[in-house]
Amino acid sequence: MADQPLTDQAFAAQVEALRPQLLRFARSQLRNDAWAEDAVSETLLAALEKPQGFGGQSQLKTWLVGVLKHKVVDQLRRHTREATVLTDEDGEDLDESLFDTHGGHWRERPQDWGDPAVHLGQRQFFEVLEACCDQLPPAQGRVFMMREWLELDTADICKELQISATNLWVLLHRARLRLRECLQQRWFAQRPGPA
Amino acid sequence: MKLMRTCQDVTRLVLESQDRRLRPLEGLSLRMHWLACSGCRNFRDQSRLMRQALDRWRTYRDEP
Repeated sequence: MADQPLTDQAFAAQVEALRPQLLRFARSQLRNDAWAEDAVSETLLAALEKPQGFGGQSQLKTWLVGVLKHKVVDQLRRHTREATVLTDEDGEDLDESLFDTHGGHWRERPQDWGDPAVHLGQRQFFEVLEACCDQLPPAQGRVFMMREWLELDTADICKELQISATNLWVLLHRARLRLRECLQQRWFAQRPGPA
Repeated sequence: MKLMRTCQDVTRLVLESQDRRLRPLEGLSLRMHWLACSGCRNFRDQSRLMRQALDRWRTYRDEP
């Protein structure tokens, strides 16, 4: 389909069609339905102000995702205190289950995951990755997504959420270990090891 | 700072290297540890795979 300028009606239909996807992005980032709803509505309102400004749907989506990222940060800034409250799950220290307490050795040696290209070429792998990201505890999920999807640097994340660098390291550390654990169980353990 | 590190310590550094530039001594102690420890080499490769996966996932999410 060629990207052609949209009529008002077609424009409204496109905005509507993209909304569920934007909501999913916002939810995975914000872990709060009301905040996600607000961020997406603000994004779509901004688009409605300039219906002539888009060449077609792909351009519209790119623009919406770009605006949404800013609106997501606005929401986090507005709800800083709630956004950084740690649940019990957030507070859990994975290191204790991974390493023996005295020597700091692996309790279970990490497995060889094999050739990255084999896995990264599969659509299902990304579905598992997305599901694993969605399962991170709320505070970990928020900082992890700020880092990985919004691509903010650590100093900016600390500033936006008003947390210390140490707190941020701890959250990112736990999030990454959890993600690894989840991928191990839900993807790599289901597959034969490298030849 | 010490040169020889535990697996737990090495793991922390590998994860931190995604968010900050490691100091030369830290980098050296990783190299030394990897020479002797296949578990940590696997962890390093796992974390590289995750890095690549996340980069690709971001593009795939953002693009129409």
